[in-house]
Amino acid sequence: MAISRRAFGIGLLAASAAGTGGYVYLRQHPEIAGRFGEPKRLFGFAGGEKEGFLANARVRSVLERRFGLILDARRAGSVEMVRERTLLDQKPQFLWPSSSVLVDVARSSGVKISRDQVIFNSPIVLYSWDRIADGLVKAGFAEPAGGPRYTVDLLKVLKAIIAGESWEAIGVSGLFGRARVVSTDPNKSNSGFMFAGLTASLLSGDVIALDSLGKIDGDVATVFRRMGYKPPSSGKLFDDYIAGGAGAQPMIVGYENQLIEWVLQDADRWKRVEANAPSKPVILYPKPTAFSAHPLISVDRSADELIDALISESLLELAWEEHGFRGPLGTIGKARNSLLQSRLIERIDAVLPIPDAPVMLALLDRLSTA
Amino acid sequence: MSLAVPRSAAKFVAGLLLALGLAACSAPGPQFTILSGSENDVLAPMVQEFCASRQATCTVRYQGSLDIALALKPGGDPDADAVWPAASIWIDMYDTARRVKSVKSIAQMPVILGVRRSEAQALGWIGAKVKTKDILGAVESGKLRFLMTSATQSNSGAAAYLAMLAAGIGKPDLIESGDLDKPEVLATVRGLLRGVQRSSGSSGWLADLYREGERTGAKYDAMWNYEAVIKETNDKLIANHQEPLYAIYPEDGVSVGDSPLGFVDRGRGKEVEAFFNDLQAFLLKNETQARIAATGRRVELGRAAPLKADPATNLDPGRPLTVVRPPEPAVIQKALALYQEALRRPSLTALCLDVSGSMQGNGESQLLDAMRFLFTPARTREVLVQWSREDQIIVLPFSDHVLWTATAGGDDAAQADLLGKTLKLRADGGTDFYTCAARALAAMKPFLDREQHLPAIVIMTDGKSQGAMSTFEMPWRSDGHRVPVFGVTFGDSADRSQLDNLATLTGGRVFDGTKSLTQAFRAVRGYN
Repeated sequence: MAISRRAFGIGLLAASAAGTGGYVYLRQHPEIAGRFGEPKRLFGFAGGEKEGFLANARVRSVLERRFGLILDARRAGSVEMVRERTLLDQKPQFLWPSSSVLVDVARSSGVKISRDQVIFNSPIVLYSWDRIADGLVKAGFAEPAGGPRYTVDLLKVLKAIIAGESWEAIGVSGLFGRARVVSTDPNKSNSGFMFAGLTASLLSGDVIALDSLGKIDGDVATVFRRMGYKPPSSGKLFDDYIAGGAGAQPMIVGYENQLIEWVLQDADRWKRVEANAPSKPVILYPKPTAFSAHPLISVDRSADELIDALISESLLELAWEEHGFRGPLGTIGKARNSLLQSRLIERIDAVLPIPDAPVMLALLDRLSTA
Repeated sequence: MSLAVPRSAAKFVAGLLLALGLAACSAPGPQFTILSGSENDVLAPMVQEFCASRQATCTVRYQGSLDIALALKPGGDPDADAVWPAASIWIDMYDTARRVKSVKSIAQMPVILGVRRSEAQALGWIGAKVKTKDILGAVESGKLRFLMTSATQSNSGAAAYLAMLAAGIGKPDLIESGDLDKPEVLATVRGLLRGVQRSSGSSGWLADLYREGERTGAKYDAMWNYEAVIKETNDKLIANHQEPLYAIYPEDGVSVGDSPLGFVDRGRGKEVEAFFNDLQAFLLKNETQARIAATGRRVELGRAAPLKADPATNLDPGRPLTVVRPPEPAVIQKALALYQEALRRPSLTALCLDVSGSMQGNGESQLLDAMRFLFTPARTREVLVQWSREDQIIVLPFSDHVLWTATAGGDDAAQADLLGKTLKLRADGGTDFYTCAARALAAMKPFLDREQHLPAIVIMTDGKSQGAMSTFEMPWRSDGHRVPVFGVTFGDSADRSQLDNLATLTGGRVFDGTKSLTQAFRAVRGYN
């Protein structure tokens, strides 16, 4: 069948208009774009605690199929990723640290931010072991909160550490040496960074400000010096805790979601632990605690759409259901898992805000020179 | 009904054919290299099993933890797709550009003291709670000597050293920077390290040396090594009807290596990374973890049951431990420098350097380069093999005779002097290293009799020696078997068998210097 030149011209014009319109539409709707053409590859750094989420095949599949995104996310400490030149010089397209304060820190390190938004929330908790928690309860440092979950008077614990009290003195028998809580390196990783802020605020009696820093920085430094080696990432510290057991890691700082994720990874393993392990992991919720927000910073405009993808309902629900991250407002998702229900505290009311960026940076300086 | 069987059989056959077809079509896996600590050689068959299932070619290259760490420094090249050192602190300290990702601990390996059972009995340690200060007491009273790897070259040595240091400080929970300036602490630790009978750069080799000592009659008292390596050693000792080691877990704290396996991103693409992730998942799945636990390693909570306790050897991977907290990286660096420069037992090293005619050209220039490295403190310090003031160095260049002998201390001026002399050497003449080794032994004698130093003769050669081994063997035997001989080979015509015989006789080791003489000399430094 012959086509007239006019019809061919109109056809060409229509196809081109449809193409342009389609391109513009798809750019504005990344969730549809993923179904067409080559997926976009994005390179960036993410805190170790999100490594499991980012490696989850379902998450990767939703990102690729629905949003057309493939991530090359490398584990880096949240603080170092927004400050260290060796990392920033690798030109990451996105950064996914674990505290809102770090967005300001990134800005002050000269990172050009295209967009940033909190994706998840997770309270800072202490991880310990049942027999240690029982000792802390007996000595009046912690309280059971119904089931194998506890709240801990963090200020009281910190004061005991600063005074150089032994484990024995805080109710824990069978451990040599002085009591300690180990966090990640506050100059590199967020859980340590937030724990430094929380410690400083608790010791000063209020959210710490620049003018009151001088009164307590020595004590904060003592708490951190007692830790010895501090791993650079939260994921690694939690792995060390699980792998090392009560003798190696009696009490560490972590995110609430880490135990949830570990339990969900292998439910049978958890059942075996609950049935047989000589000591079992427990969560101690500090009273008060701080919430770690996980803001995604798109450095390159091309990573902006990653934010939309991550706050889509399907990925947020996956994040709670399989990895234990609470949503942007700190609330838990729909799913309830019987393995964990008795171990989590659903509503956390006593929350201290993290001091602002200039105070935190001043505190970090004092800790690194202490 | 009668058709049902053939139909399901047909389905089965079709499925089988499809599966076979898919397997035949699936692409072979990648060429994959892992840089690993020697303690993992027992796990290498599991790695190879996985690689075979993917038709991948996997190479496991063994190096000390410090070497692995140095290769990860910005600008370094690990030349590998994965690293598997003994403890993750080495990755954290040196991989500042974060090239290593997906790091996961495969097993937990406490470093403990294995003591010959009769020796443990004599010390009253069977069934007793032993603290590090009891070990110190035994060393000080001359009742105990041990094998331990070099703290600056190997993780197990570093772990044992840091645990002793912490105990020496008197607060075993943590070493802080200021502690390392206290003279009484240094005196205590120096005392403990006097107990080092032999050292090495590799934990696996140290265990072989212990067993070899049973055969040769050297019969060592004890060794610091990984709990699992002590178990492996015991399995072999017991099979040979030899006395096993009794495990001492110091009550006040032990150091634990976490055996981390991490991916080194070299931009080789998604397939290589996916292969790594699958390999790691294979090693961490319950079935594999159960096999790893059966080797005496401790595995993550809930993965597999630990090996049962053995009352005869006191080995008990299920026993809860008090773990010495690793200090801050800056404190570790300071502690390691202190070990190398001041605290370790000083070394007495005789270097027999081949300057025969065949070394002319490339051989000569490589040898002189290696000497420039060995006697330039700034360069040896970078890789923590620097000499200390208390060390004694004897240089003996040889061809068919020893050209000259120069003895010097390890201070900077003495090293510069030795280097000056060495750089004037020119290659010429025949080869006789037996005579050189015998002369070296004679030159070492006055120092040996003081029993302060850890001795070694190092023979570097590119050829076959004239003369007979007895030239060295007779004086070595009459001296009381005190000095191990290490060999460094160079070039294609080196006759390794002669050096191997000397090394086997004396409890030494032969290093291949063909690729880099400097690297080979560096490695030897970890052995005394």
